[in-house]
Amino acid sequence: MSDWTTYEPVLIPNIAGLDRLETYRKHGGYDALHAVLHDQNTWPDPASVVQEVKEANIRGRGGAGFNAGLKWSFMPPVDGGPRYLACNGDESEPGTFKDRKIFEYNPFLFIEGATIAAYAMSITSIYVYIRGEYRSWIHKMEKAVSDAYDAGLLGQNILGSDFSVDLVLHSGAGAYICGEETSLLESLEGKRGYPRVKPPFPAQRGLWGRPTTINNIETLSNVPGVIRNGADWFKSIGAESHPGPILYGISGHVNRPGVYELPSGMPVMTLIEEVAQGMRNGKKLKAIIPGGSSTPILPAKDLEDLTMDADALRGAGSMMGTAGMVVMDEDTDIVETLWRISKFYHHESCGQCTPCREGTGWLEKILEKVVTGQGTTRDLDLLLDITSQMEGRTICALADAAAWPVRYTISRFRDEFEARCKPSLIPVG
Amino acid sequence: MSQKSSDNGASLSQNGTSAYTFTKEQLAEIEVLKTKYPEVQAVTLPVLWMAQDTFGHVDPEVQRLVAYTLDLPESHVHGVAEFYTQYFKTPKGKHVLDVCTCLSCHLCGGMDTLGYLENKLGIKAGETTPDGEFTLQEAECLGACGYAPMMQITNDVYVNHLTPEKVDQVLDQLASGDTPDFESIPMPLVSTTSNNEAAGGSDE
Amino acid sequence: MAEIVIDGIPYSFEGKPKLLDFILSKNKDVPFFCYHPSMSAPANCRMCMVKVGQYVKNRETGDYELDDQGERRIRWFPKLQTSCNMDMMDDMIVHTHETDDLVKRAHKDTLEMILINHPLDCPICDQAGECPLQIQTYKYGPEGSRFEVKKQHKPKHVQLGPRVTLDAERCINCTRCTRFTDEISQSHQLTITRRGDKNHPTTAPGTVFDDPYSMNTIDLCPVGALTSTDFRFKARVWEMNQTPGLDITNGKGVNVDLWTRDNVVLRITPRHNPHVNEYWMTDKGRDAIHLYNEQRLSTPAIRLHPNDSSLVMTSWDNAYQTTQEIVESTDTKQILVLGSPYASVEENGAWMQFSESILKQSPSYTTHIEKESGDDFLLVDDQAPNTYGCELLGLKKRTKAAFKKAVAEAKVILSLHDDYIERGWLSEEEIKGKTWIYFGTNHTQMAKAATLTIPITCAVEHTASYVNVDQRIQRTYPAKETKYTNRRLDLEMSEGRLDRFGTKFDHWVNEDHKVDCKPLWEIVGDLSLLWGHTLSYRHGRDVLDALASNIPALEGVTYQAMDDQRGILLTSSETQEASS
Repeated sequence: MSDWTTYEPVLIPNIAGLDRLETYRKHGGYDALHAVLHDQNTWPDPASVVQEVKEANIRGRGGAGFNAGLKWSFMPPVDGGPRYLACNGDESEPGTFKDRKIFEYNPFLFIEGATIAAYAMSITSIYVYIRGEYRSWIHKMEKAVSDAYDAGLLGQNILGSDFSVDLVLHSGAGAYICGEETSLLESLEGKRGYPRVKPPFPAQRGLWGRPTTINNIETLSNVPGVIRNGADWFKSIGAESHPGPILYGISGHVNRPGVYELPSGMPVMTLIEEVAQGMRNGKKLKAIIPGGSSTPILPAKDLEDLTMDADALRGAGSMMGTAGMVVMDEDTDIVETLWRISKFYHHESCGQCTPCREGTGWLEKILEKVVTGQGTTRDLDLLLDITSQMEGRTICALADAAAWPVRYTISRFRDEFEARCKPSLIPVG
Repeated sequence: MSQKSSDNGASLSQNGTSAYTFTKEQLAEIEVLKTKYPEVQAVTLPVLWMAQDTFGHVDPEVQRLVAYTLDLPESHVHGVAEFYTQYFKTPKGKHVLDVCTCLSCHLCGGMDTLGYLENKLGIKAGETTPDGEFTLQEAECLGACGYAPMMQITNDVYVNHLTPEKVDQVLDQLASGDTPDFESIPMPLVSTTSNNEAAGGSDE
Repeated sequence: MAEIVIDGIPYSFEGKPKLLDFILSKNKDVPFFCYHPSMSAPANCRMCMVKVGQYVKNRETGDYELDDQGERRIRWFPKLQTSCNMDMMDDMIVHTHETDDLVKRAHKDTLEMILINHPLDCPICDQAGECPLQIQTYKYGPEGSRFEVKKQHKPKHVQLGPRVTLDAERCINCTRCTRFTDEISQSHQLTITRRGDKNHPTTAPGTVFDDPYSMNTIDLCPVGALTSTDFRFKARVWEMNQTPGLDITNGKGVNVDLWTRDNVVLRITPRHNPHVNEYWMTDKGRDAIHLYNEQRLSTPAIRLHPNDSSLVMTSWDNAYQTTQEIVESTDTKQILVLGSPYASVEENGAWMQFSESILKQSPSYTTHIEKESGDDFLLVDDQAPNTYGCELLGLKKRTKAAFKKAVAEAKVILSLHDDYIERGWLSEEEIKGKTWIYFGTNHTQMAKAATLTIPITCAVEHTASYVNVDQRIQRTYPAKETKYTNRRLDLEMSEGRLDRFGTKFDHWVNEDHKVDCKPLWEIVGDLSLLWGHTLSYRHGRDVLDALASNIPALEGVTYQAMDDQRGILLTSSETQEASS
């Protein structure tokens, strides 16, 4: 791991006024798109762009961590009909607040990335789905998009080439589930955000039945850098298996919470102790949730040499998720925290699939019992049993996202839960 | 997002189906919106937003207006409005305070902030003050986890790092007809040599 | 030909059938709720889980890869799969609950989840006894509930429309009802409201679920969430008899089931017929229960004096003799005999024979078409169930003008079924002074204006056939007893528990529900005897057999053939000419 203290941010560099188009262009903005459209030697065809992005191994920053270029390569051959790129700015996983930084400080980087992606996949329209709560940031994006149109960077014949693509901003209206990629498509089509059954996958039948790729905002914002500096440059940043810059969101009981751009694979303790400047009020660290509320909790003792990349976190029994790390100090009531997480998933289940619709509410209600001292040790086993009835049994991953915190928090902090429960010898059945 | 604008928006129905109407300018705007999508149904969410910004809510009458304007089934518009939490299905107070109590905010005193507001306004979460000024709501994660506790004002600006003093200040500001400004929270510098927290992208 | 192995048994298949469909077609069971063969598959109930894998083939050689034991290697899907939306592929291996414990566990788990917020009110629920949730719970569900916290409460007894009542707490969110209004009836009147475990179907506020097909959602509902406002709390399912029948409220010939208890038709539901109505029927067709149960003509009645305001009951013998006297005292040229598209092929056939042999004329009839009242689905312009049947028999069709002229010129009219007054074709004034003998089923305006009424059996009291607008001939079964029929003796009648065990001495049996009426073919047989003719038809079958041997289009048409082929399409040139 290179010295992170000398790392120069590339997604949100420390340059004032980067949200103004002329500043962005002055600092090399749109060079990548220009090259892709005009440098025939380096970028002979859209496929060469897909290949480079695939090579760079930008693992999706929305949580699933899938190679973006590989995802692009799933798009079927051009058939003359419309093809869509849906950009996922729904950002609703508790602990995650990173994409709004791009909207605020470097909107053109994302727009350029999305435009390159559109070129690479012969996309005809880009839809950017931003959660409705981010109204302030949607206004900022509206300005940026309108400036890009005025400068010929979106719309017809972009940068004088024969490539044309439109970009439409679409506001959500309050539904976590719309961050799930097929639910996002339903919401874009103006419906209730019910995740779709797969197959067919969006690349085959996405928006309005046409081929569609869905990428996270941060993922697409990495594309211009890859085009400008090459896949090897990208792969040289951070962890080998999960390369590139990461927008780490750090929240909870630390002295300096916020979003930090650093290489992937940062040691967790460095992020807490140095980047976020340590625990608030000199308290001791109890646990972290590494990548948004659905990723399994990790107790302090497991964090010693842990780094923030997908493989290391999987090894430790958790996940990278959105790299939105929630830090908890020694005074944290783990039982209550888990109840609060369960309440969130109960509130956000779309209600389509039985195990999730019913299971999320059941989990919350039992946890409420436990929090208020009405629970028994049998309830804890029942909770674990319910999670196994939810995992892998639904159309989308919300049921898993709701089940994992319960399963792992109870198994990793069982003593704290038992201390709140009356003993019971009745088997859970 | 102001209630006042409902005065010029609401009038006797033109088609006899809803107590509300869109202005000519809004109808023109809707036509522009429609050109951005291959199917009309896709503008359901944007037009519901437009309606809520105009009338302050999307109660069944407003839902009907949206359905008739877009020539979509009323049940469709109703189902969509009910799915998304930001649409107000009943009229709310002039200012809607959405206090986040989700994971990070919960850890950092979101419930205390909510409790403080409940005491201060004399209402419970989900209720509106008798003078119709404030509606207080408990919200799920609003994506401001690093700046907890926080709240959103009437689906618009975020107010971060709430303390009782700051809450008082915001309430006074709102009561006097003012809205808090957008708070730009810069990215902290990562350099260990600097202790400067205020430095950030747009702060130079 | 591709091959699939289900629970160790290989099956071959063609095309890309869905796995659930295929398994069900092999008479194996997989539980499901949201799936319906004629609608999209949202796979949301998560009930029809199976374990799926595929034999691994070497990519280059195309040979099956073998494991250490020399068995074909199987690549299993990492998760259980819903079979309703799974395309079948060659070399697929499927384990249902019969052979896989994980699948069995998944069924139990899903049922436990479905039941946690479902009220335990089967004892007062209309759906009980025919409830897929109840049945699947018995077969695959958990022993008890581990849900010891508060249930989610939702709106109850909501009147969604004039005919459908919602209990949202019973709803399991399968979305069959909303898919029905979106995909089948396309009225788009229903949506799911709220989110998560507060989800339930509803109309938009202030709108009414008055879709002309609304009650199909009741049949579709796999629980008791949507119930019939009319039928609610009237009967338990197991008390009723289920008899196949036809919807006679228009010319579509929708196949139905008649649900009777103590000779009252309590409800009518659609019966699947892929050639006619799929799984559906109109709400109007269900209203026919009133036609079958209420305002029935029972026992012949006669107007003693032309100025009398009402008719008085009389005996069958007197009715027959009066008919004979009237006919014999009138010049046959002044007698008008009217057949009816509302009556069956057999009735019109026997009627025609009677008319030709005794009254020396062929009956005529009028159609009852209401233009533009149909849709592209099950509502049709033709209001009568057997217009084509009349054409087929060669009855003379009269226009309204010709019909009015014929009535004006006649002194005595013998008519079947049609209510010309209610339809506005005749006024009471126009038939004053005429002797009108009405053979009908109900106290229609025609019956009230007639001189003599002779009650005949209706479509649910006899076996008879009807030819629909697409020229498909289909038949009915007797579902209701008359004064002269008996379930125990008539092998075509089904017998329910209450029919079997009910007695006059308890509250289960009411003899008044049996109407004093006879099949028309019996009546004309009895009448013919008065003239010394023998027209001996004891059953609709006798009439049909006689007709089939005379009319080429009906050649080979028997009840058995109709049953076997779900109705027979009559395509002879003669019928085509007649219809054109």
